[in-house]
Amino acid sequence: MSILANKDTRAVIIGGVAGVNAAKRMAQFDYLINRPLTVQAFVYPPEAGQQKEIFRGGELKNVTVYSSLTPALAEHPEINTALIYVGASRAAQAAKEALESPNIKLVSMITEGVPEKDAKRLKKLAQQHGKMLNGPSSIGVMSAGECRLGVIGGEFKNLKLCNLYKPGSFGVLTKSGGLSNEAMWLCAQNGDGITSAVAIGGDSYPGTDFVTYLEMFENDPATKAVVLVGEVGGNLEEEAAEWLAAEPRRIKLIAAIGGTCQEVLPQGMKFGHAGAKEGKKGAGSARSKMNALREAGAYVPDTFGGLSKAIKQVYEELLASGAIKPESELDEALLPELPPSVQEVMRQGEVVVEPLIRTTISDDRGEEPRYAGYAASELCSKGYGIEDVISLLWSKQLPTREESEIIKRIIMISADHGPAVSGAFGAIIGACAGIDMPQAVSAGMTMIGPRFGGAVTNAGKYFKLGVKEYPNDIPGFLSWMKKNVGPVPGIGHRVKSLKNPDQRVKYLVSYVKNETSLHTPCLDYALEVEKITTAKKDNLILNVDGTMGCILMDLGFPEHSLNGFFVLARTIGMIGHWIDQNNQNARLIRLYDYLINYAVKPERPVPDKK
Amino acid sequence: MAKILEGPAMKLFNKWGIPVPNYVVIMDPDRLAQLGEANKWLRESKLVVKAHEAIGGRFKLGLVKIGLNLEEAIAASREMIGAKIGTSEVRQVIVAEQLEHDEEYYVSIIGNKDGAELLLSRKGGVNIEDNWDTVRRMQIPLDENPSIERLTELAVEAGFEGEIAERVGKISSRLVLCFDNEDAQSIEINPLVIRKSDMRFAALDAVMNVDWDARFRHADWDFKPVSEIGRPFTEAEQQIMDIDSRIKGSVKFVEVPGGEVALLTAGGGASVFYADAVVARGGTIANYAEYSGDPADWAVEALTETICRLPNIRHIIVGGAIANFTDVKATFSGIINGFRESKSKGYLEGVKIWVRRGGPNEAQGLAAIRLLQEEGFDIHVYDRSMPMTDIVDMAMKS
Repeated sequence: MSILANKDTRAVIIGGVAGVNAAKRMAQFDYLINRPLTVQAFVYPPEAGQQKEIFRGGELKNVTVYSSLTPALAEHPEINTALIYVGASRAAQAAKEALESPNIKLVSMITEGVPEKDAKRLKKLAQQHGKMLNGPSSIGVMSAGECRLGVIGGEFKNLKLCNLYKPGSFGVLTKSGGLSNEAMWLCAQNGDGITSAVAIGGDSYPGTDFVTYLEMFENDPATKAVVLVGEVGGNLEEEAAEWLAAEPRRIKLIAAIGGTCQEVLPQGMKFGHAGAKEGKKGAGSARSKMNALREAGAYVPDTFGGLSKAIKQVYEELLASGAIKPESELDEALLPELPPSVQEVMRQGEVVVEPLIRTTISDDRGEEPRYAGYAASELCSKGYGIEDVISLLWSKQLPTREESEIIKRIIMISADHGPAVSGAFGAIIGACAGIDMPQAVSAGMTMIGPRFGGAVTNAGKYFKLGVKEYPNDIPGFLSWMKKNVGPVPGIGHRVKSLKNPDQRVKYLVSYVKNETSLHTPCLDYALEVEKITTAKKDNLILNVDGTMGCILMDLGFPEHSLNGFFVLARTIGMIGHWIDQNNQNARLIRLYDYLINYAVKPERPVPDKK
Repeated sequence: MAKILEGPAMKLFNKWGIPVPNYVVIMDPDRLAQLGEANKWLRESKLVVKAHEAIGGRFKLGLVKIGLNLEEAIAASREMIGAKIGTSEVRQVIVAEQLEHDEEYYVSIIGNKDGAELLLSRKGGVNIEDNWDTVRRMQIPLDENPSIERLTELAVEAGFEGEIAERVGKISSRLVLCFDNEDAQSIEINPLVIRKSDMRFAALDAVMNVDWDARFRHADWDFKPVSEIGRPFTEAEQQIMDIDSRIKGSVKFVEVPGGEVALLTAGGGASVFYADAVVARGGTIANYAEYSGDPADWAVEALTETICRLPNIRHIIVGGAIANFTDVKATFSGIINGFRESKSKGYLEGVKIWVRRGGPNEAQGLAAIRLLQEEGFDIHVYDRSMPMTDIVDMAMKS
């Protein structure tokens, strides 16, 4: 048995991230005692419509966030409890709405710093509606084996250590949240654990006082004794003493009161809780509370440390009188363990997970990205350039200075080829249509293929094949190509010819051959091929794609990477075109009619649909 | 709870039509001379000069001067501003019109759980405690403001007569409005004076506490609460308060000069029991401290260093209950760093450290702090199986 929270409790949490964290802790308890999820809904307007993922053991539950209480309660008529987790400026309004909702019987507020006037008004409102208001500043309510409201009880391990999976015989009432947990531990260690524990909050005007809860415990047959932790300030403890003395009570009361040190401290000194403040002429002092409780018949140790002994003594008395029947110990090994996360289990080496992807080029799990093992900043500080990074990421090799210079030149000479070519034109049409850079540049990028810029890879591939299979037999290579592939990729140009050579090709070939020591079997082979093809037709020259493909092969780049050089280089140009069009505020363009041959059927009537 | 100084209280009284004497708050005596040129009352009235600081017993310390003309008031201000009283310094004075009056009354209002209580007496002034039997009371239920007629009746019950009773009723009504609308927790006007020749009333002295938690709905609160410990805050206290205002969770710190046992305790409830245990075992505490609500490790580290610097301490109690959600490992890493830093600066010589704690990641946190033994700290570490305040007993017996 229990008070306030039990097996039938279903809660809505009003609040954002702190509320979700509380719900996760509560679900751990639900899992421990094998009850359905306590939290049925969240109310938090900024995240309305979302679902929060809550694990109940290994089972993933989705709990909906609502914009206000009304739809949440309409969807979940079983909700009878509201937990307030919003900030102090909004908490009072949230609590008011909850108290005014017919289904909700209990409102517990964790919010700290609620203005006193608001707290007093809420208390009055709760009384008018016959509802329970717990808090503000309450860590929550715990009913062992039945229900956990809030993060009271701490981490999963502690729930077991404090025997919270099964009901005991002690009630716990505290102002402090931390001490509610401590008191539950003491009851488990020195007694048989708790029925319910309620943190009422340390504010000056808590929604519900000690006496109300004592009365509830008195009416709960399972509760045989109550551990009350009070402190200096206010008169809730004095009221509790009066209640105890007023008539014979079934429950025994054990109390510890904090704040006797105030007798020797500077007057008016502020303690941790808003309500912990001595009144005029010693009213509400810890000493007067202790005396009142002792006189009323409560067990009141001198210090908190003395609580253990007092609880033990009361427990033994209750056992001796037969009020508590000794129970056989539950084997804790039978209790469930919280399922660990995959990461935790992997750390312990108890599970093997097959990776989804594999990478061989980069890793950013450390303090900065590493390219093929080299830290990016170290590459910078040692004078490496972008061409070295390209080489590292595309072929996992750190090029020599000579090789880097070649890579740089390949990119430089293929960065742009004016607005008329398919790629640039595509990007320009996109820019003129007002679309953003990534999309416009991709429009240009989609043009790269067999007829535009996409021949680098194939050129490199087939010239390499020639070097290998037909080393001294160019006609043999050409006939194999004719039979199996078609025109040789990298050979031929629409406008350039032997007489009107492509300056880029001329420059590249001459640079590589005259100014570097690169061994160039592919390039040499291609130049031999060109001699034969140009003899047949003037414009069957080695074009820039072919030149690049051969040099990159000679540099040792993987075949698949070759088109990448054109893609990368041309991206620079296409971005430039997009920026250029935008700077000029270019307008939407369309083709003029005279640039189109309308070879369509003349206008005619549409037949009726059959 | 936030006590506010006389100046801001007077300003709030003015706002709600409660009569106050003319007053100015100044930081520079020369400004008073210039204000004198602009304000007739400063030139023509008798003046009172009071240190405008949270210093107890100002009268005895010579920080209240009465019956002055403007020149004397300027001289008194010059004398007071900059004066050092213990660890505190007078930075402002309040200069008010000293109203010649015929009678002194007492009126106060104090919040309670059902609303507030209004207290009224014809025999105000310094001897109010002796005349406590003359006080008449009225409970003011929450959100119900009593009528002026009802308040006038109360004044009559308290012995006021005729027009004076009516005026006292009216002033009380405005005080209730002020109390209610300004989220006050208590207001005490002693004395409320009357000059019968022109029936002028004025609240000559006011002690007011406002609910600092309600400041979000008071755009015109341009003041800060003052120290309630009978002295202004020390620099170290101010620093911890600044940190406290910036973090999730909280760190709190108050110095108690002369103590030998320093507290580095967790939780608003448990920290008080630790202080109690020290006192109960005949020890003296050097401070009160508390961290809670899972504060950032750096905040706990700053609190730790502050505590290590307390002079003449012999023990540090790193105590706490079994936390609900404060991460023991994380907060202890702040404490460990604070201890190391302090030791490297020469603090903690001959200081014994006693640890008891539980909560999330308690095993890792306690194991980490236990390792300080190997670094030469005199540290004794216990887990949840040690009763909470028993480390204090052990410290006091050692």
